[in-house]
Amino acid sequence: MHILLVEDDAPLAESTSNALRAQGWRVDHTARGEPVALSLQRDAYDLLILDIGLQGIDGFETLRRARAQGSRVPVLMLTARDAVEDRVRGLEAGADDYLVKPFALSELVARSRALVRRSEARLDDVLSLGRLRLDLRALRGFVDGQPLGLSPREFALLQYLMLKADKIVPREQLVAMVPDWGAATSGNAVDLQVSRLRGKVERAGLRIRTVRGLGYLLEEGDPA
Amino acid sequence: MTTAPLRPAGSIRRRLLVWLLLPLLGLVPLAAGLMYVMTVRPALDSLDRALTGTAVALSDLLVERQGQVSLALSAQTDKALRTDLYDRVYFAVAAPDARLLSGDAPLMTLRPPLQPREWKFFDAVLGGQAVRVAAFGAPCGGGAQSCPVLVAESLAKRRQAQSAVLAGAVLSLLPLALALVLLGAVAVGRGLLPLRRLGADIEHRSLANLQPVDTPGVPQEVAPLVLALNRLLGRLDAASAAQRAFVENAAHQLRTPLTVLRTESELALTDPHAATLPATLQRFHQGAERAARLANQLLALARAGSESPLAGARRVDLREVCIAAAEPWVKVHDIGFELQSVMVTGHELMLRELVANLLHNAGEYAGAAAAITVRTAWRDGHAVLEVEDDGPGIPSADRERIWGRFERGREARGSGSGLGLAIVRDIARAHGAEALLLEGRDGGLLVRVSFAAAAPG
Repeated sequence: MHILLVEDDAPLAESTSNALRAQGWRVDHTARGEPVALSLQRDAYDLLILDIGLQGIDGFETLRRARAQGSRVPVLMLTARDAVEDRVRGLEAGADDYLVKPFALSELVARSRALVRRSEARLDDVLSLGRLRLDLRALRGFVDGQPLGLSPREFALLQYLMLKADKIVPREQLVAMVPDWGAATSGNAVDLQVSRLRGKVERAGLRIRTVRGLGYLLEEGDPA
Repeated sequence: MTTAPLRPAGSIRRRLLVWLLLPLLGLVPLAAGLMYVMTVRPALDSLDRALTGTAVALSDLLVERQGQVSLALSAQTDKALRTDLYDRVYFAVAAPDARLLSGDAPLMTLRPPLQPREWKFFDAVLGGQAVRVAAFGAPCGGGAQSCPVLVAESLAKRRQAQSAVLAGAVLSLLPLALALVLLGAVAVGRGLLPLRRLGADIEHRSLANLQPVDTPGVPQEVAPLVLALNRLLGRLDAASAAQRAFVENAAHQLRTPLTVLRTESELALTDPHAATLPATLQRFHQGAERAARLANQLLALARAGSESPLAGARRVDLREVCIAAAEPWVKVHDIGFELQSVMVTGHELMLRELVANLLHNAGEYAGAAAAITVRTAWRDGHAVLEVEDDGPGIPSADRERIWGRFERGREARGSGSGLGLAIVRDIARAHGAEALLLEGRDGGLLVRVSFAAAAPG
């Protein structure tokens, strides 16, 4: 994964770069916003991590220029200000997500991964999390390249959970998103499907956590 | 913040009313007196003229024959002259040498010296009765001498006339006086209305609305006060803007180095290192985490205090707020949800901060194994948000104190800053909501945030 980090605070840029490199990702760093649009054209970055407060043109303007020349790279904005307007402005300017400093490293990694996953799904019709890959065109799942037997309903459920990985997915959303639950359109049917799915994804190092009274959360990690 | 009750040094309304109405107390009787004096005189004069009629009639009856004066008064005339509806009438006629010709002798003793054709009127007492006397010097003895003709009557008609005039004066001035009192009170009330309006205008302002008071509509006399107030508001606004800017800057300056600390410590923990290091690194990392959280909480507190609850408020579903806020916590704690869709008006991010603080608190004080329940519901017309744990709870004696900043429960475990509940309370207040500490079903702590009634939707 190739990441462009735009951050003008040198110590923060260094420790963030180190953290992302520790994940095995390639990281390029620049302290200013002006060269970003050109860099995005020259290299195929998977993710742009963009600080709002920069010397020269700020993060909003940098993003506006990048989007104006057609770049569709996913963008994670970093902000030291959590004022509502900043977040709204960022999202309106075309950011895909934002993180407020001081963020936890694990949060930065998780958000970066989620953004890349979503854009991959958009571009390649492939979703991946941990050792699991979902081929959205063939409607098939693979663990370490080995096919994973999934019913159409299980596939639909898993696709939805993977798009929202690390987020709480309320049960009624799952009921609503799978169109052909048929007569058994009830929460219980969903619960049954999820518990079957849970066993299957464990092999891929994923776990589906039950959020009592609310729904489910798909994450990487060993089942508890 | 409470203000001490104001003890005003006198009221303008009372002062104006006293200055307007006290003089009326003196002036109205004075005017009534003047009116009486001016109208009673003609009334009495006309009664005196009626007396002169009798006297003239009597003097016409004087007969002079060979130097002898006599009065040709028949018994019928005598009776006619003495007849009066209200008063007793007396008369006496004498010769120039004071010899009584006819009438009441006692009256003649009151005779003043009289020139021929001279009239005199006076009050006197006759037989123990107050009377009005008209005395006429009727010319006799060839016109060189005067025969005194005296007519008197008791005072019944005069007294009647006097009381009628007095009643007239009082009756005409009393409504006038009453009207003046009423108009005075109304005028003072209306005159002071702009002051009261100004007071109400200023009363309804919040710290977030430091706009100057409108000057049109303010009377000339109050304008200097309003201008001074506006200058003060301007300075306050500038000060509050400077404080907000400071908070923003502090946020920026503090957050970036804290992020570095946090990232480096987390990174160091994942690196392979000497066997003795992990404990030290672990403590270092926890310290960085705490500092980061503290910085966030301080800023949240500053914001909750300075941000107007109305500016930028939207319709927010408490259910969505709880889900978003709980996301990081469901991986760490056993959290159950009982969520109804409940709309309130507020700041989504501030409300998330509120829920996050409650969850952090519950996890911190009820222990890692605690079961936490997050609840939203409509109850008695209020949107209610609850976070309940099955931990040790807080003794009721401690509950009030614990709301304060940097206060922690006596039995508290964990590494909290003591700011969490203060933030919860401040954010709740900014939303017109009330936060309560209660005992949960299993003896744990139940925090309930109850929002002011709003239409469900």
